[in-house]
Amino acid sequence: MGILDAISTGLSELLSHKLRSALTMLGVIFGVAAVIAMVSIGEGAKQEALEQIRLMGIDVVHIRRAMTTGELLQKAQERSPYGLKYSDAESIGKTCDFARRVVPLREVFADVKIGEKPVPVKIVGTTPEYMDVARSELQRGRFLRDEDIRDHNLVCVLGAAAKRDLFGFDDPIGKTIKVSRQLFRVVGLMEPKEVGSAKAFAALRDLNSDVYIPITIALSDFQISSQEAIPSDYVGLRLVAMKMFQRPSRGNSPISEVIVQVENEAATVPTASVIRSVLNRQHRGIRDYEIIIPAELLRQSQQTQRIFNIVMAAIASISLLVGGIGIMNIMLATVTQRTREIGVRRCVGATRWDIIRQFMLEALVITCFGGLIGIGLGIGGARAIAVFANWNTVVSAHAVVMSFGVAALVGIIFGLYPAVRAASVDPIEALRYG
Amino acid sequence: MVNMALINIKQLKKTYRIGSMEIPALCGVSFQIERGEFVAIMGPSGSGKSTLMNLIGCLDRASSGTYLLEGADVSKLSEGARAAIRNRKVGFVFQSFNLLPRMSAVRNALLPMMYSDQRKDIRMARQALESVGLGNRLYHNPMQLSGGEQQRVAIARALINNPPLILGDEPTGNLDTTTGTEIMAIFQRLNEEGRTVIIVTHELDVARYAKRILRFRDGLLESDEPVEQQVIARPKSEQAQ
Repeated sequence: MGILDAISTGLSELLSHKLRSALTMLGVIFGVAAVIAMVSIGEGAKQEALEQIRLMGIDVVHIRRAMTTGELLQKAQERSPYGLKYSDAESIGKTCDFARRVVPLREVFADVKIGEKPVPVKIVGTTPEYMDVARSELQRGRFLRDEDIRDHNLVCVLGAAAKRDLFGFDDPIGKTIKVSRQLFRVVGLMEPKEVGSAKAFAALRDLNSDVYIPITIALSDFQISSQEAIPSDYVGLRLVAMKMFQRPSRGNSPISEVIVQVENEAATVPTASVIRSVLNRQHRGIRDYEIIIPAELLRQSQQTQRIFNIVMAAIASISLLVGGIGIMNIMLATVTQRTREIGVRRCVGATRWDIIRQFMLEALVITCFGGLIGIGLGIGGARAIAVFANWNTVVSAHAVVMSFGVAALVGIIFGLYPAVRAASVDPIEALRYG
Repeated sequence: MVNMALINIKQLKKTYRIGSMEIPALCGVSFQIERGEFVAIMGPSGSGKSTLMNLIGCLDRASSGTYLLEGADVSKLSEGARAAIRNRKVGFVFQSFNLLPRMSAVRNALLPMMYSDQRKDIRMARQALESVGLGNRLYHNPMQLSGGEQQRVAIARALINNPPLILGDEPTGNLDTTTGTEIMAIFQRLNEEGRTVIIVTHELDVARYAKRILRFRDGLLESDEPVEQQVIARPKSEQAQ
């Protein structure tokens, strides 16, 4: 019997018992759908981790002001100021051997207006080396220079979105913008930077809305952005009021972030522990900062991924096993029900091998159909999860092909025994009593 | 020899083994059947006639003795080779029709072709069905056909690969007299066209449509006689003329 004929016989068998076939397929459908959905969640998570790495760089360590609450906040506020300070950046630069560049960042609280309309840009004070560690490209003009830092020049460099909000399509070079009450001359424009969907990294700014000014100006002429919580109790409030009248020294001025670029990826972890001990000492044990090592993030995410994969494989295997047993069960019942048919086929010239092939193909038709439906459901499920849970999901062709292959394999394995049983039916008995 | 017998059976024995018991069904029978004969095999139940039918049709293997079909010793053949004989050399017709219930008449008739090396040809199925008078029932399911119509489909199926030998196991057993006569008329026509027809029956009336009767009793051949006056099956529709 030709393959096509056998498949068409299998299909017509399947269609003649629609409900029964559908129920039989359920195990395979679920197993395949689960695999596809879960693999796409895993892929999406991996992409996000890689995206973060891409944005931050694998050879950097980020140190950031931490959001603190409760008891920690009170303790921190007893010191003034809390969070990262400029001296932290200086200490790190002195003590870390592997550090190639140490770049402080200070995001400041300032009004930028075009006419009367406020523009949603972030003013960030930094040093010339920022462009290197942030992996950003310059489109026009120049970035900040050492003399700008030294001489407190009122210059600025615009991010692509900032430029669009401020100047539309005009050339911004040479023009001035008003930041709070000061006029800054635009000397450079950055290339647009694709931020991607790094949703887990909520603290990440959209770099394209940045306006970069020399850090020295940011430290001396501006208040740091409103990350300092306003306390609700009297003592805390008095401390904040006192702080507002104190002009901290340069070293004590708060900053938002320090980016440390090290020699190579391997150096990030030892550097991070050096940084940790330096800051621990300087902040007297108070953790009002966080240290982010992209390489660590990647490793963690890979580890999580591995565990996730194991769990997923277990679930899928159990589901497919159960599905396969169900199929075998149904097919055994089918063989009994069709004993007479088997006898007739043997009588008109079917060999045992013909019978085996017929029943195995029927099992294969069930599992492959179920596999296809499962693939459809899995892809749909992955999309639904992406929309509702706001997780990134990526459906990989590799997962689709593999789970279809496994579905087919389930058909072959669990169809074999019923097929052999069918082939061993005695035609004479079958025709007489079947 | 040019004119060798189609079927040459010598001392054929068949014993069934159930557990530790041995049940002899055929105790050594010998006979020959030439091409173009119309033979009826008769006997009471337990006479071994069904066993003999299964052996002739290569559905079963003899315990001892020789069975030469077209000169070839069947007992030495593998199961695959015997399946090929069942496919090309023999056409079975059963008492309970044995059609596949969820297939149309055409696909039922086509079934033996699916297992042969030939490409399946639906025209041949249509022709076969037309030759038995079912040209207007091609796509009906067995459930939509009467007993006589179902048996005709079974005959068409038996004919599809053009076998030299037609075997009928009580072909009219489940049919009323009129319909039974119609079916026997078809068998007689097939015989006139040159096919060898062997039917098993326990009714003398049916056996007399044949030209020769082999009677069996208790696993042995009791008598082998030609039919004196072969009854020509004339269905009522023809009788009216």
